[in-house]
Amino acid sequence: MFGAAIAGLAAVAALSACTSSSGGGGGQPVSGGDVTWAEQPGAPPNYIFPLDALQYFSTNNIAQFQYLMWRPLYWIGNGNDVVLNKDLSLAVPPQYSNGNKVVTIKLKNWKWSDGKPITSRDVTFWINLLRANKANWGEYAPGYFPDDVAKVAAPSTDKVVLTLKQPVSPEWFTMSELTQINPLPQHAWDKTSTSGKIGNYDTTTAGAKAVYKYLDSESRDKSAYASNPLWQVVDGPWKLSSFDPSGRAEFVPNKSYSGPVKAKLASFTEVPFTSGEAEYNSLRAGSLTYGYIPQTDIAQKQLVESRGYQVDPWYLWSMNIVPINFNNPQVGPLFRQLYIRQAMQSLINQKQYVSAILHDDGAVDNGPVPTYPKTSYLTPTQTNGAYPYDVNRASTLLKSHGWTVRPNGVSTCAKPGSGAGQCGSGISGGQKLSFSLSYASGISEVSQEMQAWKSDLSRVGIQLNLSQAPLNDLFAGLTPCKPTQSACSWQMAYWGNGWEFAPDYYPSGEVAFSTGAIGNWGSYSDPQMDAKIRATTQQAGLGVFHAWADYTTQQLPMLFMPLSATQISAISTKLHGAMPQPVAGQQMTPESWYLTR
Amino acid sequence: MIRYLVGRLGQSLIVILGVTLVVFAMLHMLPGGPARAILGPRATPQAVAAFDHANGYDRAVPVQYWVWIKNLLTGNLGYSYKLNQSVASLIADRLPKTVLIVGLANVIAIVLAIPLGLVQASRRNRGFDYAVTAGAFFFYSMPLFWLSLLLITFFSIDNTFLPPEAPQGSFVDVLKDPAGLVLPIAALTLITLALFSRYMRSSAIDSLTQDYVRTARAKGSSTSQLLRRHVLRNSLLPTITLIGLTLPVVVSGALIVESVFNFPGMGLLFWNAAQTQDYPVLLGSVVVIGVATALGSLLADLLYLVVDPRIRAA
Repeated sequence: MFGAAIAGLAAVAALSACTSSSGGGGGQPVSGGDVTWAEQPGAPPNYIFPLDALQYFSTNNIAQFQYLMWRPLYWIGNGNDVVLNKDLSLAVPPQYSNGNKVVTIKLKNWKWSDGKPITSRDVTFWINLLRANKANWGEYAPGYFPDDVAKVAAPSTDKVVLTLKQPVSPEWFTMSELTQINPLPQHAWDKTSTSGKIGNYDTTTAGAKAVYKYLDSESRDKSAYASNPLWQVVDGPWKLSSFDPSGRAEFVPNKSYSGPVKAKLASFTEVPFTSGEAEYNSLRAGSLTYGYIPQTDIAQKQLVESRGYQVDPWYLWSMNIVPINFNNPQVGPLFRQLYIRQAMQSLINQKQYVSAILHDDGAVDNGPVPTYPKTSYLTPTQTNGAYPYDVNRASTLLKSHGWTVRPNGVSTCAKPGSGAGQCGSGISGGQKLSFSLSYASGISEVSQEMQAWKSDLSRVGIQLNLSQAPLNDLFAGLTPCKPTQSACSWQMAYWGNGWEFAPDYYPSGEVAFSTGAIGNWGSYSDPQMDAKIRATTQQAGLGVFHAWADYTTQQLPMLFMPLSATQISAISTKLHGAMPQPVAGQQMTPESWYLTR
Repeated sequence: MIRYLVGRLGQSLIVILGVTLVVFAMLHMLPGGPARAILGPRATPQAVAAFDHANGYDRAVPVQYWVWIKNLLTGNLGYSYKLNQSVASLIADRLPKTVLIVGLANVIAIVLAIPLGLVQASRRNRGFDYAVTAGAFFFYSMPLFWLSLLLITFFSIDNTFLPPEAPQGSFVDVLKDPAGLVLPIAALTLITLALFSRYMRSSAIDSLTQDYVRTARAKGSSTSQLLRRHVLRNSLLPTITLIGLTLPVVVSGALIVESVFNFPGMGLLFWNAAQTQDYPVLLGSVVVIGVATALGSLLADLLYLVVDPRIRAA
């Protein structure tokens, strides 16, 4: 026992010597200790079974709760680099063959917490459950996983072979499809009732439905999350030791974790908060190891730092967008004109928003690829922007297409028609350049951005009528529609943090921009765009990806706003290993954290 | 008496049903419906349809209401599709906590306000009265949010006398950590005390001018005897009304205090459900608050009967 403790201390000391000090400051490493980590208000963990139904699906719940206990097949993220992490993945990198139509996955020799090996059966168990219940799955997009898989085979206990319906881009399939697979302990979970025996129920559709129903029902008993034996069989570095239905979750290390980094902390506690203000009070009182400064209190940054915290913005791997409704009967014809979209994009003063509104905790985002961190996915076109802020350019664009521009008034179409120098198809003479936009209430940065944009749009006579709505109400109205439907009354929407690429990390546009895609709320449709998107998912190499990204940056199927940090973290200077904060899916790895005196 | 009680209960039942009917109808007038609000922007039309079907939202609104009423009568308040918990268990978890802090704050406020108001009335326009009046106005005019932050800053941050947040966990866990309850209850008490003491003072001043008080004084009653035997009971009627009106607040929660002190109670439950269009939770909360409002009103009427023989006789 004593020897183990010495070994543990030695490991911590060695780690402190070779790991960059990310909490700031020095200090003697301590073995053990508890880290308290603040959950976002109103976002407590609420579903433990790692095959999330849509209503419980959130990247917070997946990455900051489930992944602590059950690791995905492939882990994306190394620090804040968005790359395949070979060390933390359960399998070695996949092998593609037969013209990229066959994927071979070889599992590492890792074990579940009960000592049983993680086998190919655990992978097929998850896939079988998903196939029988895909409509309930939060990540389901018709045509993609598991629809694009023709056959699943497990030729040995450590090997899974997926035969696909068509060739794929290995980069895309690994980063966006395989990352979603989450092996589950078939030997412990393949049953249909608490007292039932373990079987191979998942191998039939009816059986898989019954197993899913059972596991889903167990996941609804939040008070038993820490006591239910099901949830104690884990392959991640942590086990749940206590859980309160309000969202307080305490984890202790899984001593059987097979991964390369064993937890050094004695416990890791996630603390729920009713409001940002309540969290900030706890932070100021020093009762949190890892919290955040609410946006409304960002001016207090220095005070927080003086209380022993290091302040660091935490970004999402995302694009920030303003969806526009191409099918809206009033303004759809306006949005279908590229020059109008270009003019509107040219009036978004991103640099100013980042400095004045986001307090420099943001990044200019001109296109569909996340601009933070800098990656090989970015091209010069997106980095520099196809339509940087330029009021004169916006004005010229409108004038050259037959609009009478009235600064601080409302511009009108003077030359209707679809010929050169005319307003465009479907736009009548005298039609006004007037739009309505609904944005998420309660977020001051979002409100300020919209007010600033409204002001700039008015400089060329584009009228923006703003309204606010709670986020869920906003999403409720954001639906693809036909012009004749009453649901098509929405014109533009904005909520501040756009579209997160997680747990499908490849920042391609198949779910947001292709015709009929679930995230293509505005019903944008362009055969050329569809072809370029197909190329990103079916052809290897970054060339096709860059071609699509540039085309999207130029075509503006949605408008792009600057990225903002999802939270301004405050991390105790005594906590090390927590920085840089992971961008990909915000997947925390507290097993690599340690405290100093 | 029994007839009166039955009548009042019947009235209360009709009011509660009316409230649920109005809320039910209003919820279904919200744009978009709950499916998209809950499932989020990545939901496919099939997923939306499946959700609506699973929760009965594809049926006619009157049918949905009838099903909800039938479930309500069997104690089934529905299931929160956002919090992954039954509404009954959510309310069972939150209601006792809310009653604890809001109820305790009100009890303390009443216990202090009644003698304070009486003494102020008896020493009207003197130093003590001015001091208490100033204090009452100070706290009553102070936003609860601000007062809470001041208390936290002084007692938890500048000094570490008390924790900045209320205790977490089950009701039993909350009771095990009384120190965490001090600040939220203090914040609520200070505001409520100011309100109650003003009412009590005004009412007692009215009573002191009555003939029966003058008569009692002429018969040699001391000030203390006057206040206890003659003024107190007669001055309580407005306070009783206030107590009755307070009951819905006791169960509906104190949103601001819950929010600032990280104490998830009924107020936040209702607020968050409204933000996320969590219909079952909204309706369940409305039932609880409706019942409390009706009971509060009934309680006030019954207390009138106890306190004032004239009402009993009428």
